[in-house]
Amino acid sequence: MEAKKELKFESPSFGRRLGGMLGVDFYRLFHTPMFYILLAIAAIIPAMVSAMTMMPDANGNTMEPLYSNVWQIIAASKPLYVIEGIADYANMNMVFIFGGIMVSIFIGHDYKSGYVKQLFTTHAKKQDYMMSKSIVCAFAMACMCITYLIGGTVGGMLVGYSMEVNVVSLILAIIGKMVMSLGWASLYTFLNIIFRRYFGISIASSFFFGTGILIIGVAAIVENLSIPTAFLNIFLYGSSVNACLVSNIGTLLICIVISVAWAIFYNVLGTRILSKSDVY
Amino acid sequence: MNAVEISNLSKNFGAKQAVCGLNMTVPMGAIYGFIGENGSGKSTTEKMICGLIPTSGGSIKLYGKDYTDEAVRAKVGVLIEAPGCFPGLSVFDNMMLQAANLRIPDAEKEVVKVLKMVRMEGAAGNKYKNCSLGMKQRVGIAMALLGNPTLLVLDEPLNGLDADGMRIMREVLTDIIKDGKRSIVVSSHLLGELQKVATHYGIIRHGKMICEMTADELDASCRTYVALQTKEMNRSRMLLGCKYSRVEEDEAGYLRVYDLTTPEEIVSYLYENGICVTEIKTDKIGLEEYYIDLMKGGK
Repeated sequence: MEAKKELKFESPSFGRRLGGMLGVDFYRLFHTPMFYILLAIAAIIPAMVSAMTMMPDANGNTMEPLYSNVWQIIAASKPLYVIEGIADYANMNMVFIFGGIMVSIFIGHDYKSGYVKQLFTTHAKKQDYMMSKSIVCAFAMACMCITYLIGGTVGGMLVGYSMEVNVVSLILAIIGKMVMSLGWASLYTFLNIIFRRYFGISIASSFFFGTGILIIGVAAIVENLSIPTAFLNIFLYGSSVNACLVSNIGTLLICIVISVAWAIFYNVLGTRILSKSDVY
Repeated sequence: MNAVEISNLSKNFGAKQAVCGLNMTVPMGAIYGFIGENGSGKSTTEKMICGLIPTSGGSIKLYGKDYTDEAVRAKVGVLIEAPGCFPGLSVFDNMMLQAANLRIPDAEKEVVKVLKMVRMEGAAGNKYKNCSLGMKQRVGIAMALLGNPTLLVLDEPLNGLDADGMRIMREVLTDIIKDGKRSIVVSSHLLGELQKVATHYGIIRHGKMICEMTADELDASCRTYVALQTKEMNRSRMLLGCKYSRVEEDEAGYLRVYDLTTPEEIVSYLYENGICVTEIKTDKIGLEEYYIDLMKGGK
């Protein structure tokens, strides 16, 4: 009788654990309406920005175009850490703000529905959760980069902006921004873990960091002090801004290193917090 | 080997001590009824067993291993508050997602098997948001059963169920432990219902285990009483109160005599005093009354 009751316990491998979680998170992503809404928003916003700047104002005067080139809607002409106008800001970096909303909704639902209780009961390792969420949300943001590219290009072409560009720099800038999605997704996952009980604060904090308000302020001080602004590239927003229309392979490498480094940092920190905190 | 062995467990939330020095043993193959007032520390203890809340002290062993052990945790199923389903997805899709999460081979077959266990095979295609409360509770148990767990922790699974839902839930819980390999820790305030399925009990108060016993031990310690009705209840109560040490009137309007006596003795005593007994029976107090008595004794 005792032999019959003998039980065997096997530790699931890292690959099996992460694979299972990724499978579920990707399935959920593709079944979350907000994902498609944000993809559409990412396409519409650049098209709207380029179209609206060419429309006549109330007095019938045509407004000064914000851009001189289609590709400036995708990435700035040069690394602009301190923005001077909406045109400097309204480029693919806006995707990182939409991504913050996406991550907040995703993680907020995990906690609200009780999904994390199921998950953390059977998955003892909290790092799986951090990694899975970071990867899936980075993928979502990379998809938004693509729809942003499509929307911006179509909008710019319809308005009649110049198409002239250094193709290599453009491609490197786009890939650089897509790569930065991983770092941003990890940051948002981390923020949402900290504020997991307060959905509003999660969204607000994601928005706050996504807009790069902090670094813009720091950059302004740095510029006034005549210190080279290049060191701002060690931050997520700095590297994201650095991926512009004068990008080279070095720029892409910086994006890869910074994005992965911050992703590891936030994943380790998030895992520690999750391990020591209560699951509500 | 015991499914759960807790010794000297404690949990503090700031200055508040939610659980202090708790000891608890859940044998293999048991349905462990975990009972206590609101705020007594039941849910906190259950969450600690599941690794959802870090402990402040003491130890939790699941099947002889530390509760943080990955291998043993992979074999724990849980239903605490909400089952973690996605409202827009069907019951079946939700189950498949959980199966994918656990990387269950031949997931579809396993999901169908588990849905049958909880009598939900006919509602597999229903969207989760359209399920009744009873169905949702059963889906929650089905989710917890995926991956063939050896320990199930169910927090108030009987809440909000109608009579039929209760019956089905009782059958489900009994079926789960049939093979003797699985154990269930189930908390509920519906003690009458719990008594119908539980094989072991643990009563917690102010974060401390005040009593642990088997169903047989409970049965043995539950006092018998004689319940009766007469045409003159007030006078009967007064007369019986003079002769016996504990006479009470219950909610159903019966006079209960808890002393060691027989119905015949009571009938003849009242008859001698000119009172005709219209109904008389012997019975035992249930878990609910035992619990209330225990709580009163502790105050």
